[in-house]
Amino acid sequence: MSIYYKFAFFLFLFLIFFVERIQAEYLFEGISSTKKEAIEFLEKIDQTKESTFWPNVKPKLFYDNLKLNLENPKSFYPGRSTNFCSYGALSYLVMEKDPLGYVKFMNDLYDKGEAVFNNNKFKPSKPVMQAAGTLKFKGVLDIRHAEQMWFLVLADKFKGYLNFFDKRYHEGDENTFWAATNLSKFNRMVSSMCGRHVKAVGSDLIKPWVKDVYSYLQKRIDSNITSLYINNRIIHKKNHDKIKFSIPTHFIILKQIRKENNMVTLRYWDYGGETEMQISNRTLKKIIFGIITIDK
Amino acid sequence: MIRHFTIIIISYQLLASSCSTKIISNNYYQLQKETVDDIESRYEKLNALNPFAIAFTDKEFKIISIEMISDTLTRIYEFNIDEQRLADTLLKYNYDTAGIYYLIKKMQQTKVAWINSVDYYVNDQPQQLIYLSIKPITIRYLFSPPKYIALGYFRTAQSFDEKGRLLDNRRTKRIRKIKGQVFYKITDRICYTITEKYR
Repeated sequence: MSIYYKFAFFLFLFLIFFVERIQAEYLFEGISSTKKEAIEFLEKIDQTKESTFWPNVKPKLFYDNLKLNLENPKSFYPGRSTNFCSYGALSYLVMEKDPLGYVKFMNDLYDKGEAVFNNNKFKPSKPVMQAAGTLKFKGVLDIRHAEQMWFLVLADKFKGYLNFFDKRYHEGDENTFWAATNLSKFNRMVSSMCGRHVKAVGSDLIKPWVKDVYSYLQKRIDSNITSLYINNRIIHKKNHDKIKFSIPTHFIILKQIRKENNMVTLRYWDYGGETEMQISNRTLKKIIFGIITIDK
Repeated sequence: MIRHFTIIIISYQLLASSCSTKIISNNYYQLQKETVDDIESRYEKLNALNPFAIAFTDKEFKIISIEMISDTLTRIYEFNIDEQRLADTLLKYNYDTAGIYYLIKKMQQTKVAWINSVDYYVNDQPQQLIYLSIKPITIRYLFSPPKYIALGYFRTAQSFDEKGRLLDNRRTKRIRKIKGQVFYKITDRICYTITEKYR
């Protein structure tokens, strides 16, 4: 009997360590629209109507937020201390390709309580509908009611193994495993929401088998959109302990990378803006767990 | 094999729960009040001119990580505080070099590990508080987490419940958490918590 347990145990380890290691390629038919089309659509909508489905979402804050998302797509802010960073990176990709699709989807969701985005049907749970508009002390996300809705419905819809024990939303779950994203879930979200060709190396526990990370990124950054799955706690230290768990915690969109005197300068997008940071080549290798390349 | 593993896990749990880190001084803020308040007010003035945040990233308080924040870009650099590059960088991006050096010195002396400005909203209007955390002298056991004293300086008087916990506003009894932590009253405008992370 014990041999079966051992077999099950090793099978479990195999799933964790290797199945999540992605070298998959997804190919979906492309979708696209322009910012102009999206603004024209938004201007025709009655922006004062309240929604019975979203009792805490204020119409003015909702539509002002949609306008802002169109005018400045980089302004998406996943909120302080939340686990929404992966949905933030996804928003960046969605807005690059299909701003009209985003605005139509959000408007349908607001009006009807359900909507479809690129063949993905969203019917959010009641607790999520109650929570949108109530998230507080998350920085500017507090007054961005469309983004609160967007991040909450994405977290409610897409699930990975990290969400296994916390599938239903409860107050404060935006900061917990309910909203967490592992690498394969991120790839799945990007490919199904953006209809793009996604290729990834790396995993949730083991770093990518890439000999020279800098050259690998340098080669891909111009021809693709590059997202990184990184251990943010090494570069944004939160305590003074020297021994830290080496696990990835954050998704970013890489914008530029250059090297001078063995120091690498990264410029990336996350949390509503761009950040420039200098790190050593060794630290670069240490922080990256996943490199996701997405067709432009 | 599994029994041994279970014993190890239980022993670890007992050790971790019974031997939590203890802060030596219970009234750290009162003892350091003048210096800490001075750091906060100096930071508030400097930050209003050109926004930034500072963290001491090493136990010895010699290495800082400085975040220089503009509308379009946040630059994050790490320096040893004796490095000339620090002054050069502050000068390059039009920061008050002397003012920031003084602040860094004071932070180092008082063991202030992190200072930044946190935005929040009341009735959809933007507000700011200054958040700083201090690394106190502690007794730490094996596996016990570090502890920091975090202080929040609001610009206006806040509401607290009968247990001294920070509330969202006067009308609701909802507890306001900052970075997932419940904060307790020191004065109407200043509150504190004990946390495992300095930021």
